[in-house]
Amino acid sequence: MKNKELLKVNNLRVHYPVRGGFWNRIVDNVKAVDGVSITIHQGDTYGLIGESGSGKSTTGKAIVGLEDATKGNIYYQGMDITKKSTRRKLKYNREVQMIFQDPQLSLNPEKRIADIIAEPLRNFEKLSKEEEKIRVIQLLDIVGLGPEALYKYPHQFSGGQRQRIGVARAVATHPKLIVADEPVSALDLSVQAQVLNFMKKIQEKFNISYLFISHDLGVVRHMCNHIAIMNRGRLVEVGTKDDIYNHPMHIYTKRLLAAIPETNVNQRKAHHENRLAVEKMYQDHKSEYYDEKGEALPLQKISETHFAAIPKSRVNLLKSGSGEVSD
Amino acid sequence: MQKSLETGAQLSKEDLIKLSDEAKNNATPSTFKIIWKEFKADKMALFSLIFLVAFIVFVIVGSMFINVSQMMQTNIMNYFAKPFTSNFLLGADAGGRPILEQLIVGSRNSILIALGLTVISSAFGICYGLISGYFGRVTDLSMQRVYDFMMIIPSFMIIIEIVNIIPNYNAITLTLLLSLFYWMGTQRLIRSQVLAESQKDYVSASKTSGSSNLKIIFKQIMPNISSLIIVDTTISFAENIGVETGLSYLGFGLPVGTPSLGTLIANANDADNITIYWWTWLPATIEIILLCLAISYIGAALRRATNSTQRRSTD
Repeated sequence: MKNKELLKVNNLRVHYPVRGGFWNRIVDNVKAVDGVSITIHQGDTYGLIGESGSGKSTTGKAIVGLEDATKGNIYYQGMDITKKSTRRKLKYNREVQMIFQDPQLSLNPEKRIADIIAEPLRNFEKLSKEEEKIRVIQLLDIVGLGPEALYKYPHQFSGGQRQRIGVARAVATHPKLIVADEPVSALDLSVQAQVLNFMKKIQEKFNISYLFISHDLGVVRHMCNHIAIMNRGRLVEVGTKDDIYNHPMHIYTKRLLAAIPETNVNQRKAHHENRLAVEKMYQDHKSEYYDEKGEALPLQKISETHFAAIPKSRVNLLKSGSGEVSD
Repeated sequence: MQKSLETGAQLSKEDLIKLSDEAKNNATPSTFKIIWKEFKADKMALFSLIFLVAFIVFVIVGSMFINVSQMMQTNIMNYFAKPFTSNFLLGADAGGRPILEQLIVGSRNSILIALGLTVISSAFGICYGLISGYFGRVTDLSMQRVYDFMMIIPSFMIIIEIVNIIPNYNAITLTLLLSLFYWMGTQRLIRSQVLAESQKDYVSASKTSGSSNLKIIFKQIMPNISSLIIVDTTISFAENIGVETGLSYLGFGLPVGTPSLGTLIANANDADNITIYWWTWLPATIEIILLCLAISYIGAALRRATNSTQRRSTD
């Protein structure tokens, strides 16, 4: 890798206890995140994909420090930031920020835009009132909003504008990593592109890394170089954009890819048949790819960049045979 | 990185001032403006507000000109003096004490105690609810058990007991004593709202922006429940007038010789007073009804002002 390693998540687990019984004991755990390891490089966009409930948002929240890790470590530039006290000491959130899914909820409805964007500045940087105002106007300018937005309230903006305000707040302290938790899934399609392009522009300008959490494979293809697919709290496939989109190994990945909507009407029938075939394959081979508890298998190395949670027998088959295994 | 940002939008001081002014002109009206508009649209609420403020000012200023110890002296010559005479505009009670003066001083006492009680108990209840609801888990659990304990105490009986035990007390100690027992309703209301608010994303956003918990509680969450706070405080003010009045009515309120609305209403305990000497108790009763009505009208207008779907004013 030519770029420096920025963030390394090592075997992260976030479990929620389920209490029950007479003494309110812990009877079980909900394994929201169960052994996830990812590495994010500087200036890179890392896509984390999965269906809802797969633990991708929890992973993102654990990385920014909103959720506590049950086990495992998160290293930021070589330092373990799993503990709250270390995060505070390092002013960690100055470097790692978050863009939230729903801009309607992530902007305080009772605060003016100037206060919302200035919040991280006030906490992490000591600026005079005037400097702060200039900075906020600059930030608004970066996301394509004028200074007249300063004294308005969030409800006076459209969804896309609101999300851009969220982006402006996230980049206010010049972070090195931004965790974007489904930043465009609450927006309509035309506005999605607008917000994504602003995010890309900012990335080029400030050399920011993104952890892009999404369930929308089309958007991820547009944004990300490295992709990890998550299912039931575990990673099922990790690789570059090419690995995932052109050589999917895991049946879950194949299923996800088949779900991308196609706009080519002429081949509607072919797509439909393809989808049915993928679904049939998924149902037939489900037991091979998941263990008896329904959890994904450990990741196997396929190439330098490509890892997938496929059964060992299949890896051997891959190594002996040539190219992709046909099902 | 820094450089590119600065070249991105270079602003001079004049530009900044100009832009700020421009932005201010585009700004949304403040909460107070909205509330004022709502009052203007609802004539009854506006009238209530003027009445309430004027009345409070009148009794506070008026009582400054009254010598209380002289007024409260028994004068047998004025035994149940009739109202609407030159010396006794509202008559006198069995001790020959003038009702009008008693009413003015008594209203001041009752209203100030109610105000103090509202401020102290609401402030405490709001803080308690905010902290309990925001931190949740063990904090919430233990704080709510304290609340449960306070709820099952028969507060009125305890207050009467304490008043009997304490050798001497005045309006301030009575206010503090009452505040111990009247914060629970507010705290429950605030907590339930904060539980919902603290799960919202803007709280997470504040956390990642590096704000401390106290800052998040009082600067982020509190403005979002301000409507609830305003309405609840107004209504508990009306309620608290009743608390002191009720206590004084039973004879356990302010020390003997201090007039209050409660002691005036207590005149109605006598059958003769009810039928013949109506002026001893009727003015205070009407006053309480008017005060509580006015406050509830104000509360209703405030509630509408803070909820944009219910507003009567048009902008």
